[in-house]
Amino acid sequence: MKYTLKRIGLLLITMLLVSFLTFLAFSLVSGDPAQTKLGTEATPERLAALRHEWGLDQPFFVRYFRWLAGFFSGNLGVSYHYSKPVWDLIASKVEVTLCMCLLSFVIITLVSIPLGIWSYRWVGGPFDWLRTAFNQLCMAVPPFFTGMLVSYGFGIVLRVFVPGDVPDLHTQFGAAVKHLFFAAVCIAIPRIAMTIRMMRSTVISEMNKSYVRTAISRGNDRHAVLTKHVLKNSLVSTITFLGQTMAEIIGGSIVVEQVFGIPGLGRFLVASIGYRDYPVVQTIVVILAFWVVLVGTIADLLNQHIDPRLRLGGKT
Amino acid sequence: MKKKVLATILVLTLALTLLAGCGKTSTTAASSATAAPAAEEAQEPSNELFIGVAQDFDSLDPHHATAAGTKEVLFNVFEGLMKPTSEGELVPAVASDVSVSDDGLTYTFTLRQGVKFHNGDTVDMQDVVFSIERNRVAADGGAALIPALAVIEDLSYDDTTLTLQLSEPSLELLSYLTLAIIPADYDEQETAPVGTGPFKFVSRAAQDNMVLERFEDYWGTPAKLDKVTFRIIENVEGLIMGLQSGALDLVMHMTSTQTSQLSEKDFHVEVGSMNLVQALYLNNAVAPFDDVRVRQALCYGVDKQGIIDLAFDGYGIPLGTSMFPSFGKYYDESLTDYYPHDVEKAKALLAEAGYPNGFDMTISVPSNYQPHVDTAEVIKEQLKEIGVNVTILPVEWGVWLSDVYGAREYQSTITGLTSDNMTARKLLERFGSQIGNNFTNYSNSEYDEILAKAVSSTSDEEQTALYRQLEHNLTENAANVYIQDMADLVAVRNGVEGLTFYPLYVLDVSTLYWAA
Amino acid sequence: MKKQKLNGYLVAGILITALLLLLTVYGAIHTPYSPTAYTGAKFEAPSAAHLFGTDKLGRDIFSRVLKGMGTTLSVALATVAIGAVAGTAVGAATGYFGGLVDDALMRINDALTAFPSILMALLVISLLGPEHKYSLILALGIVFIPSFARVTRTAFASLRDVNYITSARLMGAGNLRILLVHLLPNTGRVLLPALTIGFNNAVLAEASMSFLRITPLETSLGYMLSEAQGMLSAAPWYALSTGIVIALLVFGVGLIGEGLQQRNKEA
Repeated sequence: MKYTLKRIGLLLITMLLVSFLTFLAFSLVSGDPAQTKLGTEATPERLAALRHEWGLDQPFFVRYFRWLAGFFSGNLGVSYHYSKPVWDLIASKVEVTLCMCLLSFVIITLVSIPLGIWSYRWVGGPFDWLRTAFNQLCMAVPPFFTGMLVSYGFGIVLRVFVPGDVPDLHTQFGAAVKHLFFAAVCIAIPRIAMTIRMMRSTVISEMNKSYVRTAISRGNDRHAVLTKHVLKNSLVSTITFLGQTMAEIIGGSIVVEQVFGIPGLGRFLVASIGYRDYPVVQTIVVILAFWVVLVGTIADLLNQHIDPRLRLGGKT
Repeated sequence: MKKKVLATILVLTLALTLLAGCGKTSTTAASSATAAPAAEEAQEPSNELFIGVAQDFDSLDPHHATAAGTKEVLFNVFEGLMKPTSEGELVPAVASDVSVSDDGLTYTFTLRQGVKFHNGDTVDMQDVVFSIERNRVAADGGAALIPALAVIEDLSYDDTTLTLQLSEPSLELLSYLTLAIIPADYDEQETAPVGTGPFKFVSRAAQDNMVLERFEDYWGTPAKLDKVTFRIIENVEGLIMGLQSGALDLVMHMTSTQTSQLSEKDFHVEVGSMNLVQALYLNNAVAPFDDVRVRQALCYGVDKQGIIDLAFDGYGIPLGTSMFPSFGKYYDESLTDYYPHDVEKAKALLAEAGYPNGFDMTISVPSNYQPHVDTAEVIKEQLKEIGVNVTILPVEWGVWLSDVYGAREYQSTITGLTSDNMTARKLLERFGSQIGNNFTNYSNSEYDEILAKAVSSTSDEEQTALYRQLEHNLTENAANVYIQDMADLVAVRNGVEGLTFYPLYVLDVSTLYWAA
Repeated sequence: MKKQKLNGYLVAGILITALLLLLTVYGAIHTPYSPTAYTGAKFEAPSAAHLFGTDKLGRDIFSRVLKGMGTTLSVALATVAIGAVAGTAVGAATGYFGGLVDDALMRINDALTAFPSILMALLVISLLGPEHKYSLILALGIVFIPSFARVTRTAFASLRDVNYITSARLMGAGNLRILLVHLLPNTGRVLLPALTIGFNNAVLAEASMSFLRITPLETSLGYMLSEAQGMLSAAPWYALSTGIVIALLVFGVGLIGEGLQQRNKEA
């Protein structure tokens, strides 16, 4: 209970922090929302009028606290670019991106964990170098490039899905998930390779630890030792890594959403930063922060379950 | 123990194959559901069209929308008292007739009878007056949306006629009165716009799409298509793929490199003009561009046709001043070759100005627009020959607007300037030294004088002559290095016909149709 | 200590990387053509005159790739350096001290993870000005701190209370000494893979930034790859050659990392 409370507190602090950082960043970044909205049509009078309408002529802290007050009362503000309430704009985008990232995470986990364990068995085998090389190659290709190839191959040549036509998640769930699946694979490929590589190296270094050597020299079966001790001990770093992956694939999704034309959060974020649409960016960043902390918390909880030494601030 | 691991792996692998298998089966099932309509479209056209656009729309309120890409599409939803034709003329739309007094100070409009809004209401004079006043009168604490309407001194009306009394003659007034007529008692224009145009708004999803449908009660020639969906795809390659996959039928504003990747079996390319002045705009206030000889040297050093051939595959009309051919009588073609490509002359001018060994300069270029970036890269090479060393600074669009365009903190930049309401004034006025958006800092007293005369001129003939003088002034003083009016390449699926080009940045969807 | 022998990965990795480095150095001194000049016809397929063909402006792709490697390498290495040094410092402080320091720094860390890297890049560029071409390095470097911090934190935390550290502390060793002498070397096991993955991510991050046209570095491989995707069917060799060089670059460094790990294992 105490732990839960602490976690919720930390979550709030992080979200506050990130919202403040974003707010600060916007007051430092070149580019002015009014100027961006009016483009080359801008006149000094209309610029001033818009800034006044959006309250941008107020001091920094006034604006921030006004936003904060709005946020806590459930009012996320109105988008500058779209003149629509922020939440109406992003609700559907959150669903799409969440769906794609979860899909991607499932693919990563289901593929990399068995392969990671397997890859240990191949260490030193005749084709080990080939597998390692292939793994490296998967990591080395930018996701947007894989995205291009996948949409070209599966979209244009094989016609498995229609690039540019993303079905609605509510009315055509199956079709939408299929479309997202290809994007999710593109996000997953380099991540799978990284996870396998990471697992492999932890397992190897763990196998070289004295307790393992002792266990083996005492006549225990190598693979029994592997499953009983090594895997358990390397699980901590695997979970940490996967947690981090989960936090980072949202960032990675930006480019892939762009390539596949998926109307998700990442693409919306990029566009909104381009429009200097503060209320939208602010909200998206807070959502991302929530996500990062949530995933981190889950990973921490799992790890503490496995290795009690990691308990926060614990001195046991 | 060993068995357990194996079992786990086996289960995981099985689950994976199952998942993959599921993915596959649902894939084929679903693909026949979604891909089929797209395929049918290609063979047996339904009366619906999908158009790809590269930027999302902004506000849908026609008076508040500012993005060129939004106005381009809202053209189909809204109309003003007047309306531009593809020939560049203004014809009455919501008005049925207009007459101007001999002194040019009184405009009388007759309201067209029975024009309907998309919500079913009939347009009455209240709506017309509301729409004009919304743009003419400054909102509290703000500025008027169209400052030029300030010339309207008095506005009187009855049920059928509207009379505008001007404080001074304005030849541009009719162009400004293309402003959209909207219902007076309706406040959801931002999200659910209602106008009188041939298409009515159906729905919109930010960063995704916008759907329009034919308005059955349109007063004029009805649109031929039932439904038009605009799909927003920022990624250029994504647009091409959308065309190839059948998700899109038409994409405007493409480059020749892009259109060359489409198969001729499925698509044809129609070439129009972007109606803009692409130039290397120089900050006339900073050294060395405050010296006319340096600016002229750059004009001689840049080979326009070379740029067009190299970066645009020969599409584009070379320009020599801030005016393009669609403007007909205002456009002076003789200025195009005022500075023929001449490396020696350029070098001589530079030496005269005190730069015998050339100098270093930067070109700030909006990084999101590949044609301008390509142009900058070609110019960089061309200027090397006259000893000028160019560094290209790619700038994000928002930063460009505020730092380059707004704060004028730059040396030179490449962009395209347009006139969105078909007035020559808009193109030329911005070089007046006292004008707020004169981002090139061009300052020439003679120019200011002619400009003042031109703006207040009552005779069309005199005004035209004055505008042409302004163009000469810009060219002779080498205000900027003018390049071209860029070509507008439109990729159109075979079977779609009726595309009409306007001397404006608009896409008229009402004339498009699927040929049987 | 016995002499450490080289293994296959290390040899292959060093060979590939050395070859690419050599080419990069060569490219810095001399390229067959100017990487920006119009040298021949557009979209020419690879030939003896143009090893990798030409692009839409008729520029020699081989020369561009040579120049691009230098940019990409320096961006990636500098980014990883900033991220690793700062990240390890943060990770050490949070993992070793725990408690309040841990909480505070990890909150900032989380906030940074959620902070969009595009916004970070824009911020740094706005502060330094667009003429500082390498502001992207600083921006990406900052963006990379959290991942290094998180990896090293776990390592420091799990070592914090092991016996030899406790005894070192009992013997009066200062915190700094314990951190630097006793703990840091032991984090190599997690830091090494993190470094190679970091290099990998840095190359990809730069490519993505160029793709989104936020802070394009004209001559980087990532920019060229994003440019190439606009002409995928007109000049497939452009995408192919840049793509392969990027892959080789990351591949070489990855192999070195792999090799070092193997060597550590054998040592």
